[in-house]
Amino acid sequence: MDWAGWAVFGLVATAALTAAMIIAQMAGLTRLDLPLVLGTLVTEDPDRARVVGFFIHLLSGQGFALGYAVAFALLHRATWWLGALFGGLHVAIALTVILPLLPGVHPRMASLRAGPSSTAVLEPPGLFALNYGVQTPAVTAVVHVIYGVVLGLLLRTPS
Amino acid sequence: MTDPRPPAPISDYGLLGDTRTAALVSGDGAIDWLCVPRFDGEPVFGRLVGGPAAGTFRVGPVPPAPVVQRRYRQDTATIETTWEVDGRRLTLTESMVAEITGRLLPTTLLVRRLSAEGGTVGAVVEFDPRLGARHRRPRLHRRGNALVCQWGALAVSLDCTPGVTVEPGRTTPVEVVPGRPLTLVLAVADREPLIHVEPEAAWELVLGDEARWRAWTAGIHGSLPFREAVVRSLLTLRLLTYSPSQAPVAAPTMSLPEDPGGVRNWDYRYVWPRDASIGVNAFLGVGKLDEAHGFLAWLLHASRLERPRLPALFTLTGRHVPRERELPGWPGYLGSVPVRTGNGAAGQHQLDGYGWVVDAAWVFVQAGHRLYSETWRAVRGFADVVAGRWGEPDAGIWEVREPGHHVHSKLMGWLALDRALRIGDTHPLPDRQRRRWQEARDAIADEVRTRGFDPAQSSYVRSYGAPDLDSAVLVLPLLGLDDVASARVRGTVDAIRERLSAGGPLLYRYPPGRDGLPGPENAFLPCSFWLVQALASTGRRREAEELFRELLDHASPLGLYAEELDPATGAHLGNYPQTLTHAALVQAALAIRDSPDPGDGGGPV
Repeated sequence: MDWAGWAVFGLVATAALTAAMIIAQMAGLTRLDLPLVLGTLVTEDPDRARVVGFFIHLLSGQGFALGYAVAFALLHRATWWLGALFGGLHVAIALTVILPLLPGVHPRMASLRAGPSSTAVLEPPGLFALNYGVQTPAVTAVVHVIYGVVLGLLLRTPS
Repeated sequence: MTDPRPPAPISDYGLLGDTRTAALVSGDGAIDWLCVPRFDGEPVFGRLVGGPAAGTFRVGPVPPAPVVQRRYRQDTATIETTWEVDGRRLTLTESMVAEITGRLLPTTLLVRRLSAEGGTVGAVVEFDPRLGARHRRPRLHRRGNALVCQWGALAVSLDCTPGVTVEPGRTTPVEVVPGRPLTLVLAVADREPLIHVEPEAAWELVLGDEARWRAWTAGIHGSLPFREAVVRSLLTLRLLTYSPSQAPVAAPTMSLPEDPGGVRNWDYRYVWPRDASIGVNAFLGVGKLDEAHGFLAWLLHASRLERPRLPALFTLTGRHVPRERELPGWPGYLGSVPVRTGNGAAGQHQLDGYGWVVDAAWVFVQAGHRLYSETWRAVRGFADVVAGRWGEPDAGIWEVREPGHHVHSKLMGWLALDRALRIGDTHPLPDRQRRRWQEARDAIADEVRTRGFDPAQSSYVRSYGAPDLDSAVLVLPLLGLDDVASARVRGTVDAIRERLSAGGPLLYRYPPGRDGLPGPENAFLPCSFWLVQALASTGRRREAEELFRELLDHASPLGLYAEELDPATGAHLGNYPQTLTHAALVQAALAIRDSPDPGDGGGPV
């Protein structure tokens, strides 16, 4: 297991994913704003939320990188295409499980089941995050594949 | 195809704003203009100049129903319109929430509430958002009560309580029951998730916003002459300020015609340095230091990219204004085509801009503030440009196509150097630079006095060697180039008042037809307020007050002004509402305040 690689390259890969995501968002390809969505778990102020959310995202990216590192170690190989494959699996789980479940734990995210006393206001991503625009699944898939490729290229496996 | 609901007269429109973008709403409850996510964004409701295919958002009675009252709620940005419908009353109260810092709210939140009195009233909701030049229809979704309209990374949601199923592009009938108001909430999301706000919570936000506007206006001194009109103008200036950069947009509209049916249709959703400069004066004059500082900071920030050259206009964030282009297929307001977006004046050399900016810095220094070294460096750069280029022809304040030696531009060049020298008395200034400025300033004064003054008319003229007059020269008494009591100043003010009169208090900018464009010229409102200012500044306070009162009679029913008026019909023309006009109104009132009281009937109004 490449612990040092995980510690460093997990951050590098997450930063690359986040940068690509923000570029896509600024280019008008998607309304998915991951730092905002994650940061509003903690604070109501959107500007602060983006800062907090960025660090939450870095931490969760580090967590996922641990999974990648373990998988590479178990397979005794780390390549860009294997990383891309894991990235594909990762984004499939994110779009079909993690994001649709968010309204269940997010204190400021609306849910179709919310009652009239609900104070939740943030639009939920929905299945495949389609609520944030039809191109969102494609953008999300691309950035996760980038994340996987970066890890596949940089992480080392025990010889 | 004939438009079944042609646009209302320009003065019928009220301004709703959140200091990021603005909507124009007519007396029949139709929002016919709203660009998102900011003033210079794409129109989502563009019927005003784009015709029925460009989208609208109407909430109101089934026409026709007479308006019995329409007003801004006292000292707020909330418009209240009441119609009489079969002996019952229907009231639309609407506002955009401006103060959203620190809360999870949409950047643009428009709230419209219909309430009834005297019995149930039938009304309609017509919601037809279309985006941009091609009037693109949105992808539609329903999320709970909300209708979500999406165009890629831009989304608009409409929520309504009690629940009404609004179908875009169709007229939805609604029944408004007394005691059970109908509240509609429009939220905009650009490149971020939509943020839903329950209609009741949105209404509370409107009330909170009203309280903040009232607190803001309460700080404006009660003894100000014509306070009500001044406060409305200051509120309008604030609503037309893009909060993220503090840039004052010239107007929220594009291609509202200066000549209905003609070609004088320009995009004003950008920022001119002179507007910001006059805004500094206006806000400082009423004690709104933060706003004055915001305008000055924007001026210096925006000019950073091309310093020391000062472009004629900027975008809201200080970038290059997009090239001017025509929108094919847009019918224009009352057939005024072409509809233009972008602005070709951006590439012009306008010497007067330097004068406006340096004067704004001087006003700030005069008020007891010291310039940062970076600010002073910028001001010195501007003065250097003026000292080096004042002899060149320019497009002038009126942005004519053929450059010339405009007297107003030279006067403003003189002003830039004079005020820079004055600031230099209390800020570090090398002797060589000082001498250079002094020489240039004196040379401008000599040249303007000889080549820019026509003894036969006892007046300064529009440009060297031509007999035409120019209302912009009404700034003369404020400069100090000539004594305010001198025959030259008085002669100029009187000659302009007489020879450029468009009737009553109205003035033309210059003799009609002398700008190389087809179509008639109408009265230019800022000039009238500059005349008020000139009269007050030369000790003619009573005349100034009379003129000011007459001008107030020309305001729209909601106290707003466009750039121009048709002298024959009194119709407002050009982009609307206009920052320059409102800033000039405030300056005129301040000049009246500061002029000596004649003693008999000339006191505070």
